[in-house]
Amino acid sequence: MADESLAQSSPAGSKEDGTEQVQTPKHPVEITEDTDISTLSAAQVYELNQARNLLDLTADVHRPLIDRIVPISQLRAEYERGSPSFVQQINYLESQGYSSLRRTRGDGDCFYRSVAFAYVEKLLHASDPSIAVASALSTLEATPQILESVGFEKMVFEDFYEVLEQLVKNVVSAEASVFDQKLTDEMLLDAFQSPEKSNSIVVYMRMLASAQIRLDPDNFAPFLFHPELGEMMEVREFCEHFVDATGKEADHVQMTALSRILRLNIDVAYLDGRGSTGQVEFVKFQPGETTEVTASSPICLLYRPGHYDILVKSVR
Amino acid sequence: MASISARRLSKELMEIKNDGCPVGINLIKADDFSTWWFTIEVMGESLYQNEQFTLQFRFDPQYPISSPAVQFIVTEGKQAPVHPHVYSNGHICASILGNEWSPVLSVIAVCVTLQSMLASCKEKQRPIDNDRYVKHAPENPKKTRFHYDGECQCYRIIPIQDLTIRFL
Repeated sequence: MADESLAQSSPAGSKEDGTEQVQTPKHPVEITEDTDISTLSAAQVYELNQARNLLDLTADVHRPLIDRIVPISQLRAEYERGSPSFVQQINYLESQGYSSLRRTRGDGDCFYRSVAFAYVEKLLHASDPSIAVASALSTLEATPQILESVGFEKMVFEDFYEVLEQLVKNVVSAEASVFDQKLTDEMLLDAFQSPEKSNSIVVYMRMLASAQIRLDPDNFAPFLFHPELGEMMEVREFCEHFVDATGKEADHVQMTALSRILRLNIDVAYLDGRGSTGQVEFVKFQPGETTEVTASSPICLLYRPGHYDILVKSVR
Repeated sequence: MASISARRLSKELMEIKNDGCPVGINLIKADDFSTWWFTIEVMGESLYQNEQFTLQFRFDPQYPISSPAVQFIVTEGKQAPVHPHVYSNGHICASILGNEWSPVLSVIAVCVTLQSMLASCKEKQRPIDNDRYVKHAPENPKKTRFHYDGECQCYRIIPIQDLTIRFL
């Protein structure tokens, strides 16, 4: 790994702007918006993300919490200046039919927000929404009890649960809906762009992932590491610090947990600029309990180091 | 429909009125959903025997998604506990009030955490950078970005608009 990052760091060091950048892998390099992320070591990418998380509080504020669908070429344009490996991977995604994406604000909640949005949208576009909603509700309606069973007070989650439940119900029913009508694409987007509703749902998603980890400690314990220190953590400590807390990014553990408790297939495309073939690796998170779930089409996210957006196969 | 903040706080208040506060903690003021006061004492053996402190919670409309602003009251003859994570102006350096805040926490849960923070104190002393911080500290402790590395000597004061941005 070290050799690879060393070998790749030289082209980025000699950019056309003529600034002489003396780079050694051990010392901090100046990272600009033109820097090809694939030339950075894992530690540098991590640092970059930490710095960006602070910056994003201001820098990303103009981006809606969840944005409208845009062609993937828009994303490609952002990489054309200095990241050929990313461009190649975006071309690959496009060739596989992933023509568009829906971007999310980079606020540390983007994974949970993306999943929640795609989850409700999938119900909205199901071939038989009433069956899809009934099935989703039977899973969702069992979750408050699960949360209580792992020690969450009803008081701390019920308001958040109600927001999500109402939205799912409105896919097929106009009752208690905003404009006394069933959920439309536009209303769904509105709900996820409204901070109170959107953040309430994000909080509930975090609680769901947290509950699943707490419910099944034997399965998760071997994978609970402190993301910065790499030390093993206790289940409770991990959940309190890295799942429940607002703005903490999700990693494999949280993604696995959320996929299981929602009984939802989640495919994550890793756009990381690594590998020489230009292909993109898809990591599949599958609850894998019943054939019914396995057969249902996954929701699809696009991962770039430190951020998740929703990947869309074709504009409807 | 009432805001999430008002709904949640009314439930928390009802629970306090029905079940009471944990030992050593008492609600003394909750006239609205913006500012609550509690007295807090450390029970049993500790460095703070016979001392009583007053804790103030301020809530914004995004509570509990955004954290409450929590500090000790240092006016009207009241004082902040002498503790390595408590500044003499009443501001507290505790991760659960900053980047590890979670809506899972309640007002009472915060009180209990701070009570046990005092109970486990080994040496009564102010944070190393107390004087410097107090001189420049913003009125609202949420404007301070503390670093939670065990020693309170690293913080950054950030403009409040940056803080509220994610909830706008």
